[in-house]
Amino acid sequence: SLQVKMTLYHLGNCLALACGPYLIAYKYSILSEYGSFWRCVRVGAAYLATQLVKLLLLATFFPIDSASIQFDPWAEFLKATVDLGDLVGIYLLLLKMSGKGDLKILATGLGWAGAELIATKSIGLWVGARGTEFTWEYMQMSFDANINLVHHVTVAALLLQWGRSEARRKTLVGLVMLLCSYR
Amino acid sequence: MEKFRDLSLSGAGAVVIIVPRNISSLSKEFLEEWIELEREILEEPVNIPVYFVYDDEAVMKVYEDVSHAITADQASSAAAALLDVFSTYGYQVVTSDISESKPRKDSSIFSLQGQLSGLGIEERLPTIAIVAHYDSFGIAPSLSFGADSNGSGVAALLELARLFSRIYSNSAAHAQYNLLFFLSGGGAFNYQGTRKWIAEQEATDGILLDVQYVLCLDTIGQSNSLHLHVSRLPKDGVPASIVQNFKKAANLHEPVTNFTVVHKKINLAEETLAWEHEAFSMRRLTGGTLSQRNSPDSEGRHSIFDRQFTSVNVGILKENTAVLAEALMGQIFDLDADSLSLVGDEFGVSEEHVGAWVQYLASFSRAAQLVGNEHAVLLALEQAFNRHLKDVRRYQAKSEKKDPELVFYDVAETKLYMYSVKPALFDLFLTAGVACYLALVFYAVQSFSAIS
Repeated sequence: SLQVKMTLYHLGNCLALACGPYLIAYKYSILSEYGSFWRCVRVGAAYLATQLVKLLLLATFFPIDSASIQFDPWAEFLKATVDLGDLVGIYLLLLKMSGKGDLKILATGLGWAGAELIATKSIGLWVGARGTEFTWEYMQMSFDANINLVHHVTVAALLLQWGRSEARRKTLVGLVMLLCSYR
Repeated sequence: MEKFRDLSLSGAGAVVIIVPRNISSLSKEFLEEWIELEREILEEPVNIPVYFVYDDEAVMKVYEDVSHAITADQASSAAAALLDVFSTYGYQVVTSDISESKPRKDSSIFSLQGQLSGLGIEERLPTIAIVAHYDSFGIAPSLSFGADSNGSGVAALLELARLFSRIYSNSAAHAQYNLLFFLSGGGAFNYQGTRKWIAEQEATDGILLDVQYVLCLDTIGQSNSLHLHVSRLPKDGVPASIVQNFKKAANLHEPVTNFTVVHKKINLAEETLAWEHEAFSMRRLTGGTLSQRNSPDSEGRHSIFDRQFTSVNVGILKENTAVLAEALMGQIFDLDADSLSLVGDEFGVSEEHVGAWVQYLASFSRAAQLVGNEHAVLLALEQAFNRHLKDVRRYQAKSEKKDPELVFYDVAETKLYMYSVKPALFDLFLTAGVACYLALVFYAVQSFSAIS
């Protein structure tokens, strides 16, 4: 029916907004020149592995107390600290990857953010954006994916800098990255 | 009303009518218009669903959005129209029931009877019957509360049962008169419960056949003008004596209750009975209906707007019930006017009791379609009967299998889900927006690559 088609159309809009920049970034940047598709896929796999390790850490050291529903700032802080694991993961990737600096940054950032997009948002969009009722939520989710892309590419760039530069710059860049994790 | 007809003919999927919930703040004329509209819709055949909703916040918001969207169709300029596409929401309405309402297999109607025996051998004593129909009616069954019609009649009947059971328990005051009480169902459906009960009593030679007089109560909660509707003028005997007693009782009250007798012959050509007593009169049982209404067709009788705070004045109901009680006492104990005035406080009508019953009865729907064997109101009434009367029995008026006179349908209530949706044009605009954004990203990436 027409209504079902219209809701699929909205899903299409959201996907275009979410994935468009990724595809454009891939095709029209340095990545396509070097045929980096599988490289990005490997980055995605690394993302999954990192998330798994983080989950294990969380489960072991910060078991969820399902009884307490209150917002415990200290517990939340600790959980966000575990997110520093993301930085570790990206850094290791950058070390192991071959190629120019630019290529490494883009491939890592794109692959990482792309894996995050599929892992966190795809189900939400599939279920929600096709609903009858319209809310801005799904467009927001899709736009969030764009922000993620920029964020992860930037983090990759910063990490690479941090890996190369001398001690003075190191601490400043390190601080910036630490703060990024707590967003 | 024309709008309603247009809608039902023009191919609308359904009609949703928003009904005011708080009617005490409405003007009398406005309320009368609503009641008139209710009647007309009831008589109009429709083949699309009609939903009645109370005007709560959520519904009113939807209504305002929709009426705003309609007026936006006549927007002043193209720019304003474009802006409207972004800001207005449309609504898609879905119901929770998949199928339409179907006829029920069992359209039974339940009634209650109970009695107080006079002093002596029951079969040899004269009997008076008091009858009131307890069901409510309105265009939407589950929104009909029937506070005055006939919550007031039921409350009065129960108060009489309570009073006379107290009087009779005092052996010095135990009169030689039986009292038969009957709460009938299906009053709005041509007194179905009553008619079938009479037929059963005839078949089993029940107590009803010896009754001297049947007094039916119908809507006495708002005005102190009482009319006794009869099919035959009361010239002598018990009917005339009852009228005399009523007149005596009416004069005892301050302000005076206006009591008149209204004579209306039964019209056999009519499909439905005008008053409940006609069901008895047709079987040669004398009776009358006491009502504040002076004609059977008066407005507001079967309306969803018959609710407690607008329709019933408990003080007046108490006075009317007192007149009723005193008239009966005058008849049963053969009292003159002076003796009647001494009845007073000991055996007086309690306003709290009457008020409490009306409040209880008007707090939920008592539509005949919804009152099944297990319904709370039947249990409550039965309990009240058991407290004061003996031989309390339920009577079930079953509908015939073939060619039934009455068919009930199921599904009185349903949920409407209203989704706010954007117009189709909006999605196209979104696509255009996303395309522009992607173009920007494209240029950004291109220039970034060029730099590095």
